[in-house]
Amino acid sequence: MTAKNRLSLPQQYLFLQRSKTTLGDGSLDPNRLEWRFLAQPTPLSRTYRMTMVLERDGTPDVRVVGPDLRLLAGRRDLPHIYHDPDRLCLYLPGTGQWDDSKRLDLTIIPWTHLWLIFFEEWLLSGDWKGGGKHPGEDDPDEGNRALRRSLRRRR
Amino acid sequence: MNQIFSHPLPDTAIQRRAQVFTILEEFCQELEWTQTQFEKARTSYEAVADWLARSSDPLLASLHVYLHGSGALGTSIKPIGRDEFDVDLISFILGLCPDVAPARLKAAIGQRLREHAYYASILEEKKRCWRLNYAGDFHLDISPTMANPNCLNGGELVPDRKLRDWHATNPRAYRALFDERAALVPTLTQSIIAAQRDAATTEPFPVRQSVKGILRRTVQLLKRHRDQEFLHVQEEIAPISIIITTLAMRSYEMCVRRHVFADELQVLIDTIRLMPVFIERPLVDGRQIYAVWNETTQGENFAERWNDEPARVEAFYKWHGKALADFEALRDLVGLDAIVGSMKDSLGDQLVTRTINRRMDALNDGRKTGALMLGASVGLTTQKLAASTPVATNEFFGD
Repeated sequence: MTAKNRLSLPQQYLFLQRSKTTLGDGSLDPNRLEWRFLAQPTPLSRTYRMTMVLERDGTPDVRVVGPDLRLLAGRRDLPHIYHDPDRLCLYLPGTGQWDDSKRLDLTIIPWTHLWLIFFEEWLLSGDWKGGGKHPGEDDPDEGNRALRRSLRRRR
Repeated sequence: MNQIFSHPLPDTAIQRRAQVFTILEEFCQELEWTQTQFEKARTSYEAVADWLARSSDPLLASLHVYLHGSGALGTSIKPIGRDEFDVDLISFILGLCPDVAPARLKAAIGQRLREHAYYASILEEKKRCWRLNYAGDFHLDISPTMANPNCLNGGELVPDRKLRDWHATNPRAYRALFDERAALVPTLTQSIIAAQRDAATTEPFPVRQSVKGILRRTVQLLKRHRDQEFLHVQEEIAPISIIITTLAMRSYEMCVRRHVFADELQVLIDTIRLMPVFIERPLVDGRQIYAVWNETTQGENFAERWNDEPARVEAFYKWHGKALADFEALRDLVGLDAIVGSMKDSLGDQLVTRTINRRMDALNDGRKTGALMLGASVGLTTQKLAASTPVATNEFFGD
């Protein structure tokens, strides 16, 4: 990962505060950024209360505060989630889709909305229409090694 | 003007309700004939009309074939589980006296159809009419009629169900009245808040004005709801389309002329709500009967059978209550899964799923082409708004 365009936590925080498309507020410590926001992916959808936490040198941790996704899903396992605690899986690690040169307000925030609309549709159809990958899915791509490495870091 | 809806709606509700109506509109497009099907049916019925017109039977010397029923009104829908449409034709025979027996006139039409080898092979006799089955596409029902000398409104006479007598009807005037009412445009308070409306007009979920007008969509949605509701009912008690259509057009006219509405969805709901107002209970021969009158002729009661079969009355009111509750629920529910789930229950799984899948495909297309944006207060959209950010490419991960 290159460090040349790396965005600091205060820079990320400023972008979030200035964004017209995410309404929220947050807090900033030297080592930790927290952003609380509301996400309604389409006018038909519920409004979800979200938190996003980014620690220094870490990866964004996105959670739904409410409504309770597990309650909505009933007995089904939630799709595209990191477990314990439940966090949204928004991008493929190690592929550069997100790294610390990418603005949260232009990546993680829109992806959260996408995740939520696919989640609501999944509640309906049982079929995740947003695409993506599950861990362990074999991928002959070069990125795979980086992916496995990144996964080990996460688990 | 009365305003049925008096509280201003919050923006989120305005946008949600506009989207619900748009999905219903898209669903109706799934319910309809495709242009190809329509053209095919038209070519076929024009050919049949031509064949009948060239009959050498003196009884059929002067004959005019025209489309009536839902095909003529623009309210036809696909039957559940089949792709075949009903196409209703009137074969209006001029210059006859009402002393011609209905059975005789019907037989003359049947005879003429049998003279054509292909028609003979797809011909089926029904109680009051002849049916040509174009398997997989549609069937043409051809009913003979003649002029009604007692109707001042240019009405016609059609054989009754037992082929014993003539029965007053007036398909051409009915169609003209329906078209006139369908052309009425409701006053929507939303036009006052145009800015919010524009914000609600977002791709890939664009808000569409109903292309056919709200009345036709109301009739189509109610007929579909009826089909779904009575799908597993064995008895023949479901409200017939002409009753639904007549009550809806009268209610729509009253609503639109007297009231102001928040939005299209509210027009739909209030039109449904007020339909029973037009079920009359006149005293006839000392008996209080049910009547849904054909306003365009004398003596055609579309609810005639309700008076001998009380199960039909009960079925109507029960269905109507359910339909009203279901459309009100669509107005008030929140969450794609809740709204669309309710739609699937009340309007049928398959076509609702197809409608929603098209939307999800549009969303994924936007992701691929980079056209997808996240807009302030509207969420995901493929429309470029002042306050919006592009959605970068991503792949979801995780269990």
